Amino acid sequence: MKFLFLGLLSLLPFRTLLAQEYPMPSKESMAYHEARFRKSIPPYGLAKVKEMIAKIQPDADEAEALSSRDYLSLSLREKFTYHMIHPETYAQNCDAVPPVMDENKKIFSRIPSSFGDFIWSKRQADFLVENKDSVCALIKESALRSKRIGCNYKEAILEMNAVEMIPFLVDFYNRDKKDLDLLTVFLQLMEQNKYEPFMKSASWKKLYSENASYEAYLDYNSANEALILQRVTDFYKNYKR
Amino acid sequence: MKYLLGMAMLLIVATVAAQDSLRFIAVPAGSYVVGAKNFPLNPKRTVRLAAFRIAVTEVTNAQFAAFVQATGYVTDAQRRHNAMVFEPGLKEFRWLEDSTAYWEYPNGVSRGDISAKMDHPVTCISFADAQAYCNWSGCRLPTLDEWEVAARAGSDTRYFWGGDRDAITAYANVWLGHDHLSADTADGYMYTAPVAHFKPNPWGLYDVYGNVFEFCEGRTALDKPNSTQAHARGGSWWCSKNSCSFFNSVDIGNIHRHASFSNLGFRVVKAN
Repeated sequence: MKFLFLGLLSLLPFRTLLAQEYPMPSKESMAYHEARFRKSIPPYGLAKVKEMIAKIQPDADEAEALSSRDYLSLSLREKFTYHMIHPETYAQNCDAVPPVMDENKKIFSRIPSSFGDFIWSKRQADFLVENKDSVCALIKESALRSKRIGCNYKEAILEMNAVEMIPFLVDFYNRDKKDLDLLTVFLQLMEQNKYEPFMKSASWKKLYSENASYEAYLDYNSANEALILQRVTDFYKNYKR
Repeated sequence: MKYLLGMAMLLIVATVAAQDSLRFIAVPAGSYVVGAKNFPLNPKRTVRLAAFRIAVTEVTNAQFAAFVQATGYVTDAQRRHNAMVFEPGLKEFRWLEDSTAYWEYPNGVSRGDISAKMDHPVTCISFADAQAYCNWSGCRLPTLDEWEVAARAGSDTRYFWGGDRDAITAYANVWLGHDHLSADTADGYMYTAPVAHFKPNPWGLYDVYGNVFEFCEGRTALDKPNSTQAHARGGSWWCSKNSCSFFNSVDIGNIHRHASFSNLGFRVVKAN
């Protein structure tokens, strides 16, 4: 009987478990949490790439990579699809990111990681950097078609240090101003390029200084939003290519 | 026949030697408070535990070597050539794949072996490898709750000494640099330190924070049904204040059960 009860308990959705201990995040907050972790699935050769992945990963339990021969047989667009849906190696021991209160009203210091226990291998990260122009073009094309930029696309933008995408991303953000992780991408681009006006700001201190927590965030409000957009636009204009 | 008997004796001697070199402290059966308020991964609650004994130190390279010598065990990293290693210069949370790395060369052949580090914790082993060691040694991994009760040593704060994170330097081998772009040896060690080099917690356990993440058995409140993820706790030599500051009694990490990193290790427990 005890086992039956425990078994049933394990089937309870997270929302129910959460309700037992905490003030519940609102429906909007929970929905936003789920949206933050949604990936973009590129359409380029998707069926072919999925079929190849299925052959190397029969039980979906291991980090597996396509053989060099199979990998090299893919076109650039197909490689892009492969990387966006299949990380090849293990990620280090890390915290799960649970929903938090008012997640939809927070501009976090870092975007969530896209692949849980897995991460892009060196050849995958190298592909993104070495084919930056093409990858940026594919991300733009895919984002315009699907009207969203998934967490994997954001991660790729940061991996490539794609400062040149800032004008596109600002326009994309301004369409509905709902994806606050795009503001986070701006913050991370300014941080990783050590943009001086940002590094001297109160925002940087709160988000990235020595004593900042990894989960640090800024409240979403029109003043913070305008400041980030203005700063990242200035950063882009002054960025030395 | 004589040969088989000899091998059996050798195995018994090695097992006893490995266990003798581990010291344990007894934790009595009882109710213990674990977790933290408003922390869904590890909510504050009271748990009831049976008595157990937990090793004072993490399992060392010498102890793991005795296991391998006795059994011929081949680790995940040796079979799959997919261990993840570190060298200064990497971006935050980035590791290098190194096909040459395994427990005897935990950061790859080019970064040296463990011959001068036999009293350091074994690393570059997976959760599955740690379980294999436990099966051989007659021990097991601590549950998430057992690990936390032992780490807390009666405290109800984030750290066993209170809430001041900066006191970590007396008790743990962690990363003291702001990032991982350049080496940090401020506490004397960039990678692992010898076990029991830093001060113990009030119950006499060494390195519960820092040195290596320690694999634990069990599931968290956030694990999906049918999840095969493993968990490890306590932070490691890689963890800094800014990145993965898991050197505390509350956080719980997720890791693939076959992943081998040079900051992952374990300590063992026995039933009382």
